[in-house]
Amino acid sequence: MSEEKKKKGGFFGAVKEFVYGVAAHDSARFALKSRASMEHLFILITMGDMLGVPILPPYYSLRLLPYVVPQISTWKRRMLKEKDLTDGLA
Amino acid sequence: MVPISLSKIFDEFPERRYIMFGGKGGLGKTTFSAATAYYLAKQGKRVLVFSVDPQASLSDIFKKDIFGKGPTEIMPNLYAQEIDADRRVKEYQQEIRKKILDMYGMEKIPDEIESYIQAAAAEPAMEESAIFDEVVDIVVHGGYDYYIYDLVPLGHALYYLSMASVYDEWIDKITNLRQQMREYDQVAAVMKRDKEIDEDAILNELLYIKERINKSSGILTDKEKTAFFFVLTPEEMIINDTLKAAELFAKFDVPLSGYIINRVLPPELKSQQIPEYLKNRLAMQDKYLKVIDEVFKGQILASVPEMERDVTGLGMIEKLADKMFY
Repeated sequence: MSEEKKKKGGFFGAVKEFVYGVAAHDSARFALKSRASMEHLFILITMGDMLGVPILPPYYSLRLLPYVVPQISTWKRRMLKEKDLTDGLA
Repeated sequence: MVPISLSKIFDEFPERRYIMFGGKGGLGKTTFSAATAYYLAKQGKRVLVFSVDPQASLSDIFKKDIFGKGPTEIMPNLYAQEIDADRRVKEYQQEIRKKILDMYGMEKIPDEIESYIQAAAAEPAMEESAIFDEVVDIVVHGGYDYYIYDLVPLGHALYYLSMASVYDEWIDKITNLRQQMREYDQVAAVMKRDKEIDEDAILNELLYIKERINKSSGILTDKEKTAFFFVLTPEEMIINDTLKAAELFAKFDVPLSGYIINRVLPPELKSQQIPEYLKNRLAMQDKYLKVIDEVFKGQILASVPEMERDVTGLGMIEKLADKMFY
């Protein structure tokens, strides 16, 4: 795995940051946001029984539990705010 | 009515190594499982008979406490096993807790997560899934010529099968979702020129789960290696239910090998001095034996008489096996 390379080039580094900021930052943000929505959708359909919606057989959903521990509290909050998550299932 | 011989079926299809008896509760599935295991073991085959039922009765039939003890030798070549679902679930919960603590360096499982782990284990489907999962271990582990499933009553067996096909589709769907998520990750990573993203551990878990479920349903529906026998008795309701169940099983692609009639009253009784009650029973039996003969033409593999006492212990099992396989 690569270490932090950001600080390497002074001038070129600054140009690179600038170009990224102008051209790609928004798209990257969008990709990450979509990713986050899907993450929540994913937790809903695997861990749904936490909200009283059993979907995955619990024996196997337990296998996934360790990976989503950090997301569980934010997910519950989000579930109360948003209603259109199921759009992503189609 | 002359049944085709059951032993001939076993001789003709030696590659059918997974043997299952299905039928309504109390018709003799466990008895036939034990007798078949006995017969095959006497033929010099290494046999494991195991119970898929949380309320298993192999311990009773072999008169030996084998519950939760792994494969236990009953006689040379014959091993029996009753899965302790409860213990398996507990061990599994512990495994999950440990994984969470290790992954995040926590001292204690957060309350919300702990209560989820406990609630999940209390689900009724949990025990069944745990047994289902252990069966995969047993079969993958190998070491026997024959595996005899002492199956649960019909409803449950169907539940297993439908569960398998539903899960399969469902897991495909979430696996796709997971893969899409990974693509978004990659897009974001490329734009930000980040390091390569880690392998998706969740995706790997999903693929593992899919493989497990496919493995167990694959055995139930393997046309070459699996033989599924229905047990029935000469009674109207049983015949009707068996017909319905057979249709359903066929829908799930379970390879039906034939039918075995159990609890047939010996016809020689008729020539003896018997009470009216027994005469009526015999007349009814004759009627339904004819019905069975018509309905399941050419698929009756054995007709097993009602024994003089219940079948427990190797002595009685041997007696029954002689009547089943001739």
